Amino acid sequence: MPGALLYVGCPKGNVAASVFGFEDGKLRKRRRGRLPACRISVVSSAVANPAARTSEERVYEVVLKQAALVREQKKTKKKTVDMEGMSNWDLLNEAYGRCGDVCAEYAKTFYLGTLLMTPERRRAVWAIYVWCRRTDELVDGPNASHITPKALDRWEQRLSDLFEGSPYDMYDAALAHTVSKYPVDIQPFKDMIEGMRLDLRKSRYQNFDELYLYCYYVAGTVGLMSVPVMGIAPESKATTETVYNAALALGIANQLTNILRDVGEDARRGRVYLPQDELALAGLSDEDIFRGQVTDKWRSFMKEQIKRARMFFDEAEKGVAELNAASRWPVWASLLLYKQILDSIEANDYNNFTKRAYVGKAKKLLTLPIAYGRALMVPTSKAADQMRS
Amino acid sequence: MICLGRTLAVSFPSTSLLCCPCKSPYSGTEKFRYGKFPPFLRPNWRLMASEPGSSSLAGSVDSDSPDINASAGFCIIEGPETVQDFAKMELQEIQDNIRSRRNKIFLHMEEVRRLRIQQRIKSAEMGILNEQQENELPNFPSFIPFLPPLSSENLRVYYATCFSLIAGIIIFGGLLAPTLELKLGLGGTSYVDFIQTMHLPMQLSQVDPIVASFSGGAVGVISALMVVEINNVKQQEHKRCKYCLGTGYLACARCANTGALVLIEPVSTMNGGDKPLSTPKTVRCSNCSGSGKVMCPTCLCTGMAMASEHDPRIDPFD
Repeated sequence: MPGALLYVGCPKGNVAASVFGFEDGKLRKRRRGRLPACRISVVSSAVANPAARTSEERVYEVVLKQAALVREQKKTKKKTVDMEGMSNWDLLNEAYGRCGDVCAEYAKTFYLGTLLMTPERRRAVWAIYVWCRRTDELVDGPNASHITPKALDRWEQRLSDLFEGSPYDMYDAALAHTVSKYPVDIQPFKDMIEGMRLDLRKSRYQNFDELYLYCYYVAGTVGLMSVPVMGIAPESKATTETVYNAALALGIANQLTNILRDVGEDARRGRVYLPQDELALAGLSDEDIFRGQVTDKWRSFMKEQIKRARMFFDEAEKGVAELNAASRWPVWASLLLYKQILDSIEANDYNNFTKRAYVGKAKKLLTLPIAYGRALMVPTSKAADQMRS
Repeated sequence: MICLGRTLAVSFPSTSLLCCPCKSPYSGTEKFRYGKFPPFLRPNWRLMASEPGSSSLAGSVDSDSPDINASAGFCIIEGPETVQDFAKMELQEIQDNIRSRRNKIFLHMEEVRRLRIQQRIKSAEMGILNEQQENELPNFPSFIPFLPPLSSENLRVYYATCFSLIAGIIIFGGLLAPTLELKLGLGGTSYVDFIQTMHLPMQLSQVDPIVASFSGGAVGVISALMVVEINNVKQQEHKRCKYCLGTGYLACARCANTGALVLIEPVSTMNGGDKPLSTPKTVRCSNCSGSGKVMCPTCLCTGMAMASEHDPRIDPFD
């Protein structure tokens, strides 16, 4: 996590709110709405209480920084970085083509979703996807046992180089071209590498705060990376921060859904991505998860978790309407499809140990026109006002 | 594990199992791990004296350390300034280093084998079930699509099905069909009538039965073999690394796959404007050491989706 970010203390008892926030959705929403005012008012105050700084606040800092960067770049023309070797358009086109192939190979539904975007955006999203996937495979792939922390440092160095216009290989070159065309900040990428480092060490998460940070690292960053590519609608009256917050919420919601879907699979690898304190509150332990039996305690626990994930989806929905018209359909489609996974977990009687919750093809196809309908909703000033409150 | 230190001085290419095939005139050039061998087999002081030449390798490649990856310098992911490409070594040194490392890999494999044996013994003692069935032939997928995977029990079933099908077809064609005077043309017509109704040239009806059965059989066999091959290709493709498409390398972005960087020197146009421009000088690209390709970090130059230590690393110049 960037040490460069200035810590701002928000003395409003947020630690307690974050622990019990999941029980009272309203409390959470209100608290999050309050944060912007909190930030502005105490921006110059000294560090109040470092221990009270929750992950949500730290992540919010990053969102603010990214939003500020985008605004700055709108004012000053983006300096075109001179990239050596990038005058070779054939190589670049081939690189983008290969990015598309890799995306189609590993994430078929996502690839189909990208086909709903404009060609330029599609290529940019592919390049980002391939970088994220390669980073993930460094620690999670078939050859992950040979990766040392030093390798991740080198990988981060390569990332910095490509942002400066010196990509190392062809996939880096595609990403370098993407970041030269869209105002993407380097921080989410660095945070993702940080998340990989975290994953090397940690296999248990004590509370939701830790889990939130992890979800930010591996999925929230993706949301932040893709907003500059998707673009915010010019007629939108929402602030840049709110759109980024919504993208962040979408990433978190997706990751929480993944976690809830893959409880059994992760348990088999010895990992539990559910907050330990919430498990204890529900009367469950790691043993119950490893045993893999669906009990009533498990059902009620899962209900709460699913409720929280749905809350994040609701947060995200507010921001999708503010995106560029051409990008709303694919984003809506992916949001609705992922949300349906939660429904399918419920339909499996909360058995995520042995049953894989997936959405059937028919239902997927049916979601597309629904997403199209919702994408037609234009950003209204009323919606923007609601978001600002 | 005796390595023929003394006899190496005679420099015969020994290919015996555990010995380093040493073709160099140096005696005992191989750098063995100290603890295991008697003093006379310890690394040759002569080679150690030439070590300073290789100490320019960022001071880190200590080949005495058992775990190269853990030592300070070496790292799987390389950056443009940090490629440990051993460029400062002499040719003979490089050959010796290659030989010593390959020997080490060989010896490591043997150690892995012995460790595995101990692992089996100890887990059997502790009653831990070995999950992998390493007894008979393992399961492997059939090359023919839609058929279940093969194993030794399955193979018997495959044989039985195969023979019975062939026998059945022969009996059908040889005995049943003529006896029942089966006419398999449309609406029960004979071959000649079938040709006539299809308005095909009449010479087809006069095809010799031997020729007809041979052609039919050959077509069937050839198409079956084609299907098997195509399926094989698909399965092999499945196993190859998707990022580099099995080549093990990705195009170097710095030199755009050419291997050479063009040095752009600003030319003054103030004086001497009538001299023609000389061709720009090129320098070898430092990213890829001139090969135009860089390592694919996903498959580690093996080209396989799941690399193991057995997979050979692909050379960039192939």
